[in-house]
Amino acid sequence: MKNNIIILGGGQAGIYAAREIRQNDSKSNIKILGEENLLPYERPPLSKDFLLDKKKEEDLYFHSIDVLKNENIEFENISINKVDFENKKLFAKNDNVYSYDSLLISTGSENKKLTLDNNLKNDIYYLRNLEEAKKIKEIISNKNKITIIGGGFIGLEIASSLSQLQKKVIVIEIGNQLMGRIIPKQIADLVQNTHIEHGNEIILNKQIEKITKKNGIYEILLNDNSLIETDFIIAGIGSTPTVKLFENTNLKLDNGIVTNQFCETSIKDVYAAGDVSNFYHPFYERNMRLESYQHAQNHGICAGKNIAGVKTEYTSIPWMWSDQFNLNLQLTGMCDEYDEIIERGNDINNGVIYFFLKNNKIRGACGVGIIGKVGRDIRITSKLTEKDTIVDKQILSDQNLKLNKLIQK
Amino acid sequence: MSEENWIEVGSTDSIEEEDLIRFDHQDKTFCVYKLTDGFYATDGICTHEAVHLEDGLVMDDEIECPMHQGIFNIKSGEALSPPACEDLKTYPVKVDNDKIFIKID
Ligand SMILES: Cc1cc2nc3c(=O)[nH]c(=O)nc-3n(C[C@H](O)[C@H](O)[C@H](O)COP(=O)(O)OP(=O)(O)OC[C@H]3O[C@@H](n4cnc5c(N)ncnc54)[C@H](O)[C@@H]3O)c2cc1C
Ligand code: FES
Repeated sequence: MKNNIIILGGGQAGIYAAREIRQNDSKSNIKILGEENLLPYERPPLSKDFLLDKKKEEDLYFHSIDVLKNENIEFENISINKVDFENKKLFAKNDNVYSYDSLLISTGSENKKLTLDNNLKNDIYYLRNLEEAKKIKEIISNKNKITIIGGGFIGLEIASSLSQLQKKVIVIEIGNQLMGRIIPKQIADLVQNTHIEHGNEIILNKQIEKITKKNGIYEILLNDNSLIETDFIIAGIGSTPTVKLFENTNLKLDNGIVTNQFCETSIKDVYAAGDVSNFYHPFYERNMRLESYQHAQNHGICAGKNIAGVKTEYTSIPWMWSDQFNLNLQLTGMCDEYDEIIERGNDINNGVIYFFLKNNKIRGACGVGIIGKVGRDIRITSKLTEKDTIVDKQILSDQNLKLNKLIQK
Repeated sequence: MSEENWIEVGSTDSIEEEDLIRFDHQDKTFCVYKLTDGFYATDGICTHEAVHLEDGLVMDDEIECPMHQGIFNIKSGEALSPPACEDLKTYPVKVDNDKIFIKID
């Protein structure tokens, strides 16, 4: 049967879903509606290789327009500002109306904004999309001392890139460690040391009281009364799912769009995937919302299958990375539910990993090392987690013993 | 095929099964693999970013990059999973008297 399938949000989850639907359904109309006037592109390089000029705009696209044309996937640059789930319609600002039989919502997430009580709102920059990355790149070319508010992944990646561009960088973090929400303190401290070794200043446990601007220079007053002078401010203080559009509808929301393990929302024929969805994970037996590259891809693919009628459970073990300086940090599974922690290695040059176990099985792990040093072990860990294997802790804790042994059994 | 392009990598027992070794020759790096049905060789650096694949995971006929989990088919070099999208170059391998040789063009 021929259907009208609409994908709202032209990012990573959206494009993977579209192509997966086409793989399973050659007849239906597939249309992606995206408010950025760009084909779907990768965001991870925005804070890293794009700022460093190692990657250009054309390197970021997932697929060329030819791939979409070949697969008969339509992409329209439009911003949707109203939905009517009852009549299965979407409305755009320019009065265009789009009818669907099945809808995938993949609107991603948006940056939290600082609450400032003066006119400086437009002076603070945030990084989520290519346009913002271009603006930041342009402005920093003649700025020297740059302050990053927020010591999370994106803030620290920007701090690493700016340091490599010979800028003086200050990071202000409200918590008592970097990447506090999800990374164990031991790993955060190793990353912090690397930033300091490269000349970045890291200020922890401090809140911003006030920001003022004098003669083009910003003054940031902290809650201990210290004052920081800076030429430019970028904030990376977390993100929220992009759900404003659905707030007065029947769609069930709770830290994103609530979905089951089949990417189905509370409304029939409406699915959600990627950063915007708070999905049920059957392995962890709870709902979670993830903001990661691997998840956006795999969740998009899973939604695509389900929309095309191939009922498929989403069971992917979470995985994400962050690249800062010559370090690669990786996180797999969930590190917040454990009765035992096992450490593997203690030298960042060979990689350091913390495993989080419950009932002798791995639930998650987090590692950091010089590029290339933790990836294989983290990957094996994901597989061991997925298989719910009871692990030999001796092998886990001894870096001289290969983890491959655990998986081949 | 001229003889002189075959470069000796090492002995066949220098690689465990389902594993790889890194081989540097002049200014290039290669990975040489032992799979269940024989030896294979590819470029040693990921096509996504400049990372050595020697630290990657070999599973079945695939090598997975340790940095962002890009996956390549070892036998064909085909990029199978993003963020890797450019194929990996492969090289012919032969075994002679328990020694592995790869043909570099
Ligand atoms: C700077 C940066 C660096 C990152 N680095 C890493 C990393 O190193 N490793 C990692 O694992 N992950 C990283 N991520 C996270 C990863 O990129 C995201 O998790 C992923 O992009 C999410 O995909 P998505 O499809 O859910 O949303 P997105 O890719 O954000 O796409 C959503 C799209 O929907 C559009 N949209 C929203 N509302 C509407 C509307 N009403 N009408 C039309 N269009 C709409 C948006 O404009 C956007 O284009 C990074 C993210 C950022 C921003
Ligand atoms: S460097 Fe290999 S996948 Fe990115």
